[in-house]
Amino acid sequence: MVTPGHSEPTFDRTKLRLGFFGIIILAAFIALFSRLWFLQVLASDQFEKLASENRIRDVSTDVERGRILDRNGVVLVDNRASQTFTLDRSLLDHPIREKRVLKKLSVLLDIPVRVFLDRLDNVAASLYKPVAVAFDVPKQAVKLVSEYPEDYPGVNVENRFIRTYPQGNLAAQILGYTGEITSDQLKTERFKRGYEAGDVVGRDGLELMYDGLIRGKPKLERVVVNSTASVVGKKVIQQPEPGKDLILSLDARIQKLTEKALATGIYAARQSYNAPDGAAVVLDPNTGGVIATASFPTFDPEILADGYSFKDQKLLGGVPEDDNQDDGNFNRVIQSTVNPGSTFKVATAGAAMATGVMGPYDYRDCPGALQLSDIVFNNWTSADMGTMGIPKSLEVSCDTFYYELGWEMENNWGAANGDGSEKFQDYLRTAGFGHPTGIDLPNEYAGNVPDEDWCIALARADSGCFDGWLPGMSVNMSIGQGDLLATPLQMAVSYAAVLNGGNVLKPHIGGGLGVPDADTGEEETVKEFETQTAAKLPLDDTEMGVIRQGLEDVITGPEGTGASAFIGFPLDQYPVAGKTGTAQYSATSDLNRAWFVSYAPANDPQYVVAVYIDQAGHGGESAAPVARQIYEGIFGIDKAVEAGSGSDVSD
Amino acid sequence: MRADGIFGQAVDRIGGEPISARMARRAPIRHLDPTLLFATLVLTAFGAAMIYSTTASKQVEAGLDPGLFLKRQIAFLIGGGIILFIVSFLDYRHFRAFAPVIYGSAILALILVLTPAGAVVSGARRWINLGAFQFQPSELAKIAVLMALAAYLAERKGEVRARDIAISLGMVAVPSLLIFLEPDLGTAMVLTAVMSVLLLVGGAKIRHFVAIAFVAIIAIVGAIQLDLIHDYQIQRLTAFMDPNPDVQSEGYNLVQAKIAIASGGARGKGFQAPNTQTTLDFVPEQHTDFIFTAVGEQLGLMGSATLLGLFAFLIWRALRIATMSRDMFGTLLAAGIAGLWIFQIFINMGMTMGIMPITGIPLPFISYGGSSLITNYICVGILLNVHMRRFL
Repeated sequence: MVTPGHSEPTFDRTKLRLGFFGIIILAAFIALFSRLWFLQVLASDQFEKLASENRIRDVSTDVERGRILDRNGVVLVDNRASQTFTLDRSLLDHPIREKRVLKKLSVLLDIPVRVFLDRLDNVAASLYKPVAVAFDVPKQAVKLVSEYPEDYPGVNVENRFIRTYPQGNLAAQILGYTGEITSDQLKTERFKRGYEAGDVVGRDGLELMYDGLIRGKPKLERVVVNSTASVVGKKVIQQPEPGKDLILSLDARIQKLTEKALATGIYAARQSYNAPDGAAVVLDPNTGGVIATASFPTFDPEILADGYSFKDQKLLGGVPEDDNQDDGNFNRVIQSTVNPGSTFKVATAGAAMATGVMGPYDYRDCPGALQLSDIVFNNWTSADMGTMGIPKSLEVSCDTFYYELGWEMENNWGAANGDGSEKFQDYLRTAGFGHPTGIDLPNEYAGNVPDEDWCIALARADSGCFDGWLPGMSVNMSIGQGDLLATPLQMAVSYAAVLNGGNVLKPHIGGGLGVPDADTGEEETVKEFETQTAAKLPLDDTEMGVIRQGLEDVITGPEGTGASAFIGFPLDQYPVAGKTGTAQYSATSDLNRAWFVSYAPANDPQYVVAVYIDQAGHGGESAAPVARQIYEGIFGIDKAVEAGSGSDVSD
Repeated sequence: MRADGIFGQAVDRIGGEPISARMARRAPIRHLDPTLLFATLVLTAFGAAMIYSTTASKQVEAGLDPGLFLKRQIAFLIGGGIILFIVSFLDYRHFRAFAPVIYGSAILALILVLTPAGAVVSGARRWINLGAFQFQPSELAKIAVLMALAAYLAERKGEVRARDIAISLGMVAVPSLLIFLEPDLGTAMVLTAVMSVLLLVGGAKIRHFVAIAFVAIIAIVGAIQLDLIHDYQIQRLTAFMDPNPDVQSEGYNLVQAKIAIASGGARGKGFQAPNTQTTLDFVPEQHTDFIFTAVGEQLGLMGSATLLGLFAFLIWRALRIATMSRDMFGTLLAAGIAGLWIFQIFINMGMTMGIMPITGIPLPFISYGGSSLITNYICVGILLNVHMRRFL
């Protein structure tokens, strides 16, 4: 191939070959630049994130958690410093080394390796924060680890705060406990912001509900680490702020005697009945503040102080043959939903007056039995007690009186006989039934107000109500039987509303926040929580007055069902009013739920006391004496009650 | 004024005397390519700054002189400059005569490094201690193979036969094998790349490349079968396809390198900016093989693209010199040098960006290391040499 003008034939060909080589070079440069563009322009943000993950670690240091105090400043939950061994996972990343260190620790502390592994494997524990594996380690072990750190790589000694309970198991079910946040908790709304793995938080009860307020602000440090994980820079991004103390509406003294009275009452009832469990609550009817709350059986909160599981808990007072709710953590005040029996008649009387089926001074018959449609409903006694008003009907606890009211409301507004507007149920929901009261405790149960919707849902689930809503359901409901279910707290709240002018209050245990004075150490309240009213009863003073009159007569009247329980009680000084309840398990069963819902002083109510004991005969027989004991304690009538509070109740 | 053609006899239409004849009367220094020299110095300064940025914080942490690596690189630069001067001063056509001597001594040095005279650093015998300076014979081998092959193929005048291919392969195979035994897979690959470029420009046919590819496949399969290639080498070569971020693995380098480059973004985090992958020392071997990560992170796309531009300029000058050379030997030398650089640049940058396998190939002019810098300066010297004497 000879091109004119060029002496050598290879000239063009070499140029061509160099050109081809040039194209290859160009392609290489284009490839490099494209990749650069992709990394530095298109994917830069994503890699910048990886770069900061490389170097930035946020480390939080817990501050002392706020204490929990009763309304008088008695400390219920305190903190103490505990010498704790922690394991730094980044220094243990080699499995063989980890095993060796854990084995050494296990021998040193006499704790099985498995316990350490469980703690390390906890996904909720922070990856960067050392994991606490042993609390309250002996001094000797601390000394050994501090002196020979090379033998225990990754093991550190830290002072961690542990909850203590100066009042023992007092109010155990409501205080709750603390522990490292769980991965499930981290997903919840409450813990979404400001919390991270490894944080110690409230896991139940008040500790959980008020966590954000009493936890304080942990010291947050953002550290920059280099490739060998040594810290090269530090910045405090959140100054520590110790947690505020939670001041409760609870009164430790009354709490103590309430727990004791309940336990005494249950042990007494066990003479004749099963009486496996029970609950009692003392409520301030004017503020909704819970003054005392007892659930039996209970447990020892100290066991949970460092966040171990409930499996190891020590049950106090439980009976082995009890149902599956024998868990001491089960707070019956808000979680036991059962028939309230005759104590519910207050609500039915209120509903009858609110809906207008009867006026406050109207009368109804109280026959021994009442035939409604084709069903015969029996009173608790076969005797005909004649005609009576609301006060008398409460005093003698006439069932047929209330069957009649239930029947009338059903005929007017019921889903079966009436227009379906269900005004009876509407009133009950207003009075606080069928939904949680909104108390500041987790896992409160709603109870049940049966209505047509509930019936339809039940039938759809194939678990009952197969014939649809029946008029008899309203009749049964009127005396707190059938499918009407309520918690002891709901009963107390509904009674309080009749006493305070119709305010259905949102009960609360937390009353405010405080800080100890720096000099005197005395608690200073820095914030008081406001009383919240959930609803207002559609009743006037006269209507509520006749109900109160009836409740007073239960104790003082000649035929009062609660009178016998208060024989010898200085009612002239401390007038008590209330209502007994004896809810049957079923029409054929002789097992009864004993109830007594009451208040005192009757002329100026300061305390509502609701007592419930499962399988314990009559309310007046088993529950009312517990309330009496509580009142005696509150008013200081029987000194023996208080003096004996230190002794073992199981004697 | 422009010179026309490789063996150009272009005629100045006004003067009637061939331009080449007129140019040839001038001293070669008057035909210097100053831009090439300038680009070389800019690249070296760029590299020195990056070396400082990747070593200073670590040196301070160790309580040592933060400028130690910078100073040493400057010393290499001075040494390289002197050698560059010598190389460009002697007429490159004399190199043809020296080529067998240089080739022979390179082979000897490569054998020597495998004896106990060779210094072992992280498992590889690559260096010979020369007092304060460690000399890497494999770097010299690049020049030796380049010269020897260029000299041989220049004789063929563009007519390459099968026998020439076989001889070329043999000339590359001997040093490659010795280097491979050190082991230094990367440099062995560089030699093969240089050979391919020289054959391409020197006149090899397509069927020759097919044959070479065939031989290469047999050689690779054979090496694996005979366990000459270690498992870790294969892992290194394939790690980029699925990098494992685990600290102990080869993939860790890649992941950290990519994070460094990409997190630099368009503008970069700034030279010696605090809390970067570079200053926190997250990229292993950053001042040598992974130095481009420091460019990418600190100077961003602007800095990286500038560096790419400088390299492109350098290689363009080399290719230009290849086309302007008076003879085939000069053309092949210049093209071979262009091939040497583009191969190293592509493999090295590609490696840090995760599109090429990990091989211990330094980035020309930028990576820390005396042998590499001096070799590249020799290459620049050769280019200047060919350029200056394009009329003689």
